[in-house]
Amino acid sequence: MPFSEAARIALAALRANKLRSFLTVLGILIGVSSVVAVVAITEGLDRYMANQVLSLGSRSFSIQRMPDIITSRAMWLEMQKRKDILLSDMDAVKGACDACGEIGARVQTTRTVKFGRTKQPDVEIMGVTENFSRIGSVRDLITGRQLIADDVDTARPVGVIGADIMDAFFGQTEPLGKTILVDSHEVRVIGVAERKGKIFGNSQDNFVWLPITTYRKFYGTRRSVTIQAEARNMDLMETAQDQTRVVMRARRHLGFAKPDDFSIETGETVMDFWQSATRGIYVVTIVVTAMSLIIGGVVVMNIMLVSVTERVREIGVRKALGARRRDILRQFLVESVLLSALGGALGILGAAVFSMALAAILGGIMSADFSAPVRLWAVTLALFVSSVVGLVAGIYPASRAASLDPVVALRNE
Amino acid sequence: MSVAPVPPSTTAQTDGALIRAEDLWRTYVMGAEEIHALRGVSFTIAPNEYVAVMGPSGSGKSTLMNLIGCLDTPSRGRYVLRGKVVSEMNDDELAAIRNREIGFVFQTFNLLPRATALHNVELPLVYAGIPKEERLAQARRALEMVDLADRMSHKPNELSGGQRQRVAVARALVMGPAILLADEPTGNLDTVTGEEIMGLFERLHAGGNTIILVTHEKDIADHAHRTIHIRDGKIESDEERRR
Ligand SMILES: Nc1ncnc2c1ncn2[C@@H]1O[C@H](COP(=O)(O)OP(=O)(O)O)[C@@H](O)[C@H]1O
Ligand SMILES: [Mg+2]
Repeated sequence: MPFSEAARIALAALRANKLRSFLTVLGILIGVSSVVAVVAITEGLDRYMANQVLSLGSRSFSIQRMPDIITSRAMWLEMQKRKDILLSDMDAVKGACDACGEIGARVQTTRTVKFGRTKQPDVEIMGVTENFSRIGSVRDLITGRQLIADDVDTARPVGVIGADIMDAFFGQTEPLGKTILVDSHEVRVIGVAERKGKIFGNSQDNFVWLPITTYRKFYGTRRSVTIQAEARNMDLMETAQDQTRVVMRARRHLGFAKPDDFSIETGETVMDFWQSATRGIYVVTIVVTAMSLIIGGVVVMNIMLVSVTERVREIGVRKALGARRRDILRQFLVESVLLSALGGALGILGAAVFSMALAAILGGIMSADFSAPVRLWAVTLALFVSSVVGLVAGIYPASRAASLDPVVALRNE
Repeated sequence: MSVAPVPPSTTAQTDGALIRAEDLWRTYVMGAEEIHALRGVSFTIAPNEYVAVMGPSGSGKSTLMNLIGCLDTPSRGRYVLRGKVVSEMNDDELAAIRNREIGFVFQTFNLLPRATALHNVELPLVYAGIPKEERLAQARRALEMVDLADRMSHKPNELSGGQRQRVAVARALVMGPAILLADEPTGNLDTVTGEEIMGLFERLHAGGNTIILVTHEKDIADHAHRTIHIRDGKIESDEERRR
């Protein structure tokens, strides 16, 4: 009996029991849809993270007192003991790192900024060196000029504002030359930076850049700075970080066996952390999926046994008409595989709907363009795995059907 | 996938007999008890004979038909069909014989309820591995032969008892088998429809078919040219009837 004939018989049998067939494959449906949806969503998040984090510039790295990611309170307490990073450290790195391109420094705090009666809360106030907007990737202006060396040298009370400040204070009116109040300090607006949007709901445009000298005049010099550096090109990334590490360790007189008492961070660090987190999600998903597929397989096997029992007489008739063992075996295996693959297909459909809905919701929360694409490989794998489940689940019922004695089967009422 | 040819090693000497049964026993083991449904049955049947098998209920008629139809194998004895020793064949070879040499008609019709008349008749051709087009043509021809050309796409529950049995006969004949076996084919039919089926059998016999038919009705048995009576698993009498 050719495969197409077996498939036709199987489809007819499934169609005759639509609801039962659907309920039977529920386990497989849930297993497949959860794995496909999770893969789609984490891939979407991965891409989103990569876009946002690596947009800082993949050549750039920073030397900071505290690491980006602190995983315990004990670690945090330990980090508190670290020495401040100074502007003189920056000068030392400039002198020693020939693999480096631009090297600058920044300090930051969060304050309220005012213009006339209008207040903008939680603004990131950054004191930066004049080259800051060029390190790693260039951050262009919509209007006005960037900070220049002279601004830093003379600690001029001028600033470049982010697009959120522009929106809040000036709207369509001219911002350049206006004076805003950072805390109580007067700052003249000299430029507006291009808009970057949000990352996990945090605006990237709610800031004021001041010359680092001006910042220190406002807030004092007793603060650790962050050195922002870049490698001259991607290939020199390792070398640049190594050279920097060597200078820093020498300046702090760290012995051979002592760990760094400063942190060198790149976008990669955050990406690595993110990826190890999503790996955890994957593991959980795979366990959940494996469990629901096993349960789904047992249910399919059970229903196939019922189906065989219901059709004992049909099997007898088919044997009387010349069906061989292998014909009957194939018929029920095909039915079991089709049943499970159908569950897999419905699961993919469910996953597509689910991840589309979730992408819309997440996109809304993060106010960003976010998509969770259901990949062809995930679809193929899901169909393959559910077919294998059907095949395995069908073996026992099908071989029971195939080995029925035709005389006994025909006597069955 | 086509039907496996029967290997020549199982061939015995032929002497014109289509069926040769030699001391057939069939014993069912039920726990500690042994039931001898057949106790040493021997006979030969020539091509184009029309034989009725009669006997009381439980005498072993169906058991004998199952052996002749290769649905079952004897516990003891030898069964030779067209010179081939069937009692030594394996499952696949038996399936091939059932498919090509035997046409079965049952008391309860045994049609697949969800399939149309045409699809039911098509079934033996499916297992013979015949391509779709040819299959449909042959199945149509068989249904026309039993005067059901206008009922091909009906399902069994849309047909009368007599029509169902005619579908079953068409299905039994579609492969052009040597032997038509009918186990109480009129048992579930009224007298008139029963006679209709018997008329169909006469026609088939006239056309060259060998027919073996189980019945306990004298009127039905009278259509046959030879009657074998069995009782308690043994042949009681075996006589030709001249007409
Ligand atoms: N599968 C079976 N298992 C046990 N006993 C059986 C089986 N089939 C038939 N028999 C017994 O064999 C005897 C002959 O049965 P059967 O050939 O069906 O009789 P008939 O068709 O003449 O009425 C009966 O006693 C019956 O109970
Ligand atoms: Mg009987």
